[in-house]
Amino acid sequence: MSRILVVADIKQGVVRSSTRELLSKAKALGAETAVVAVGSGIEGLLPALAAAGSDTQYLADDPSLALFSAGPWASCVVDAARQFSADMVWFGFSESGKAMSPRVAARLDAACATDIVDVTFVDGAVEIVRPAITNKVLQRIKILDKKLVAVVRAGAFQAAAEIGGTENPVKLSPPEADLRAAIRNIVSDAGADIDLADADIVVSVGRGAKDAAGVALVKSLADDLNAGFGSTRAMVDAGFMPHSKQVGQTGKIVAPTLYIAVGISGAIQHLAGMKGSKVILAVNKDPEAPIFNVADYGIVGDLFEVVPILKQEIQKVRQ
Amino acid sequence: MNILITVKKVVDVELNMHVRDGAIVTDGLQYVMNAWDENAVEAALQLKEKHKAETTVVSIGGGEDVQKIIRRAYAMGIQKGIMIDDPALADADAFVYARVLQKVYEKGAYDLILMGKQAQDTDNGQTGIILAEMLGLPCVSNVIGIEVVDNTHLKVSRVGDFGTEELDVTLPAVITVDVAINTPRLPQTRGLMMAKKMAIETLNLAKLGTTAEAVGCDAPKSRILQFIAPETRKGGRKFEGDPAAVTAEVVQLLVKEAKVL
Repeated sequence: MSRILVVADIKQGVVRSSTRELLSKAKALGAETAVVAVGSGIEGLLPALAAAGSDTQYLADDPSLALFSAGPWASCVVDAARQFSADMVWFGFSESGKAMSPRVAARLDAACATDIVDVTFVDGAVEIVRPAITNKVLQRIKILDKKLVAVVRAGAFQAAAEIGGTENPVKLSPPEADLRAAIRNIVSDAGADIDLADADIVVSVGRGAKDAAGVALVKSLADDLNAGFGSTRAMVDAGFMPHSKQVGQTGKIVAPTLYIAVGISGAIQHLAGMKGSKVILAVNKDPEAPIFNVADYGIVGDLFEVVPILKQEIQKVRQ
Repeated sequence: MNILITVKKVVDVELNMHVRDGAIVTDGLQYVMNAWDENAVEAALQLKEKHKAETTVVSIGGGEDVQKIIRRAYAMGIQKGIMIDDPALADADAFVYARVLQKVYEKGAYDLILMGKQAQDTDNGQTGIILAEMLGLPCVSNVIGIEVVDNTHLKVSRVGDFGTEELDVTLPAVITVDVAINTPRLPQTRGLMMAKKMAIETLNLAKLGTTAEAVGCDAPKSRILQFIAPETRKGGRKFEGDPAAVTAEVVQLLVKEAKVL
C-alpha cells in the first residue's frame, strides 16, 4: 500500500481547503495518509488536520518557524517523510510548496514533479499528468524512482464529502535555522483580503480599467460578491495591483467556480492561470479579444458601463 | 563579484503548438532564450553596472540556437559564455542539469548563480533549487529584488504566499528570479555586432571532468511517456448590444443555467 504525506497549507491559523483535497485524493488511491504541519502556535489545529483526512499528524510547532523559510521548513517535511516512510510527498499549490518541493526531493533523492493534475498507479508504477509549455501541452510521465515529491495544481483534486481521519499526533523537533538565507520580514501586501486560492469566485481586472478609479470600480464588484480580487501582469507592472494578486503563468493559478475577467484581453500567460475555472465570464469592449475564446459568457461592452449594471443585477438576484 | 547566469534554449511559447501521436510537432517551432533567464541576465548586468562584477552565461545544449541565445546575452552585455554540448544530455532532467551545473560552478570561482525561476518549456522550477542543495549553498527562489550590502551579503525579496518576503543572503548563493524583478534590455546594433565576434567556450562532459553516468543520465527519475493536447476550452456565448439588457440576461444565465451565482 502506498504511503502519502500531505504538507498542510495553513493560513492565518486555518487549514486551507487544498489540504483536504489532497488527502481525499490520497485516500481515493487507497493510500495510508499523514499530514505534516509547520509553523508557530499550530498545535490547536490537530483536530482540523485529522478531520481533513489524515491518520497521522506530524507537527513542527516552534517560535522559530513563525515566518516561512524554505530550508528549515523543508527539513521538517523531510523529517516527517522519513518517519512516515512516505513514498509520496504532496504539496498544495503554493509559493512555499514550489520553494520546498525541489529541496525535499533532493534531500530524499526522490523524483520531483511540479503542477501535477492527476496521479494513477499503472502496473504498480506511479504515473502523473502535468501541464507544460505555458499550458499548451500535457505531459504523461512515468515515475521511475521509488519516491515522488509533487506539487499539485490548484483545483486538480476534489475534496470528498465524507472523509475519515484519526488524531495521532507526532511532534517533530525544530530544525536548524537557515542563517545564510535568513528570513527577516514578510511585508503583507494582501491585508485581510480574500485569498485568491481559496475563493469560490474570483474577479480580475485588466488594462481595460485604465486607472485607479477603474480598478476601484472592479474591486467593488469583487467586494459585492465576497470574491477574491486578482489582476493581470500589466496591472501589477503599472503599480495598480500587488504581485500577490497576479493571476497567470508566473503568478497565481486559480480554479474558482466562477471567474470574472474584466477588461482583460486574454494573453496566454494570463489564460494559463485561470483556464481551469468552472465558469468564466468576460467583459471586454473588443469583440475580438482572445478572452472570449475561453469565456462561457462574454459581454462585449465598456466595463465602465457594464460593471455598474452587473453590480445592480447581482444585487437583485442575491436579495 | 563573479556571477554565473544560466540561460536555456526553449521553444517560443508565443507560437502555436500541436501534438501528434503523443509527441510535439516540431515543424515550425522556433527557439528563444527562456524569458525568466533574460531577467536573470538583466539582473546580473545591473549588478555589474552598479558594482564591479564579472558575468558568465552557461547554456546546456548544442547547435546554432544555443549559440544564438549566448550571443544574445553577449549583445546585452555579458562578458563570457560557456556551452555544454554533449549528446548524452539530450533528455536531461532537472537533477542531471543540476549535476552538470555543479561541475560548471566548481570550475569557476563564482560568488552568485543567477537563474530564471523556471523554464518556459518544462515549467518545472526545480533546477536552481536542486543545484543549491547539491552545492550546499543557500537559495532564494521567485526573487523580485536584489540589493548588494557588501562583498558577501545581499538583501533579497521574493514573492511568497502572504506577501513579499525579505531575506538576508550570504554569498555564495543561488538566486532564481521572477519576471517582476526587471525589464530585460533589448540588444542594440553595436552589441549585436560585437557579440558575433566573441568566442563561446564549448565543453562536453569529459572536458567538464565528469561522465554521463556520474551526472545521472543512465538513471532518470522519470520518463515522459507522451504529450497530450489539452482539452481546449471552447468559447461560449458572446452578448452584444444594449449593456443593460445583455448584462441582465447574462446574470440570469449565471444563476439559472450555470448555477454559479
